[in-house]
Amino acid sequence: MNLTHQEVLDLAAGFVLGALDPEEEQAVRDHLASCDLPHGEIAELGGVVPYLADSVEEVEPPASLKARIMSAAAADLAARRTAEPERRTGGPDQQVVPFPSAEEREIREREARSRRTSVIGWGLRIAAVLVIAALGAWNLRLQQDLNATRQDLTQALQPTNAVAVLRPEGAGPSGVALVQADGSVRIAMRNLSPTSGSEVYEAWVIAPGGTPVPIGGFTVGSDGTGNLLARQAGATAGVTLALTKEPAPNATAPTLPIVSSGVASPP
Amino acid sequence: MSDPGGRTERGAGTAADDADRDVLERVASGELDALEELYDRYRTMAYSIALRITTDAALAEDVVQDAFLGAWRNANRYLEGRGSVKTWLLSIVHHRAVDAVRRRRPTSELPDGEVTPPLALTMPDIWPEVAGRLDRESVRSALGGLSEAQREALELAYFGGLTQQEIAARTGAPLGTVKSRMRLGLLAMRRALVGDGGQLATESADRDRGGWADS
Repeated sequence: MNLTHQEVLDLAAGFVLGALDPEEEQAVRDHLASCDLPHGEIAELGGVVPYLADSVEEVEPPASLKARIMSAAAADLAARRTAEPERRTGGPDQQVVPFPSAEEREIREREARSRRTSVIGWGLRIAAVLVIAALGAWNLRLQQDLNATRQDLTQALQPTNAVAVLRPEGAGPSGVALVQADGSVRIAMRNLSPTSGSEVYEAWVIAPGGTPVPIGGFTVGSDGTGNLLARQAGATAGVTLALTKEPAPNATAPTLPIVSSGVASPP
Repeated sequence: MSDPGGRTERGAGTAADDADRDVLERVASGELDALEELYDRYRTMAYSIALRITTDAALAEDVVQDAFLGAWRNANRYLEGRGSVKTWLLSIVHHRAVDAVRRRRPTSELPDGEVTPPLALTMPDIWPEVAGRLDRESVRSALGGLSEAQREALELAYFGGLTQQEIAARTGAPLGTVKSRMRLGLLAMRRALVGDGGQLATESADRDRGGWADS
């Protein structure tokens, strides 16, 4: 649909109010993009429209909406970080692998380079190493647990469907989560601040576009390490795994901020 | 505040606008804290608009979530444009709420698949005038000063999500009359709010064509 200058003037009020049908609206956009004549009427009429919003009776949204939005944004951010290094493939990854024995200095240098130059790509490629690391010397508490129950060990060594490297927004707790064939999730973390009183760290599974589902919690002592085996997590590749610190066990919605998160991708 | 030529400087506006831009720059660089700050500032207005348009609390929540995630992903596109962050953000809320309502209404025409991006995302310079902040009462007073038919046309379009053809069918008025009511209603509101006479570059052309039917 090609519109004349005059026809666009005729449609201007409907356009700024969003009251045109899609074909007309697109035709107006196309005209404005190519028209050499001024279309001050669009700005004049359109400048009034936002005021209509000011006439609305104010209603507070439910508090849970904020957690939903922040969780979804965190999942989006984690997905972005995962995707970007993969897009940059084409040569060997020159990033130094700072895991599992990275010094804090290396973490800070990594953060300083860019938030977007994620190092998750390497993490996925060496998932097998992470499994060994997670089960080995890196996390003493996890190792002790595994020694205590051979069943756990058996489960941990079954096929891993996906791995998520959990990272904080800035410096802070990091770790790894293994999503196993039966949907269970094993998480091992370090650099966590200790819990006190009834506080727990709660792990959440967030399906793309979904709401966070709690899968279990754990407490943390002075060594800053923590781990969790969530047998009923029902997780699959593609979910976001996130960790929050909750004032008490059995939280149903995450308390922000998310201390660490990552997207589970096939190893 | 008026700028009929649509060439208000990008930096024009209130201190709150400047603070909003700082927050949005942080949102654009992927800072979750900044998104939280933006949400805390505008959650009430965003939800109120979404609820008014959808009249459905659950749908309004979905709309607000969708809009803030849209802002989260497209904040860098705002920085290339102009106008206040508030207006940009609320236009996203409005657009998505209207889309949601139209999808729920089987008789409405909608493009297949992807939702059309909000005007403000693709049309910088549309909202250069909204730099100041008017209190709710003065806006309501301006709206209350319109003729009943003008107010109805604006409300059915903006809050009802109806197209001008649908408004014509709903009210029984000819399409040309509906267009005229919307246009004159906006101009009257503009006069009441900014007091500049609402002079339009198009008025002489409109008169040459025989003018607009009044309401």
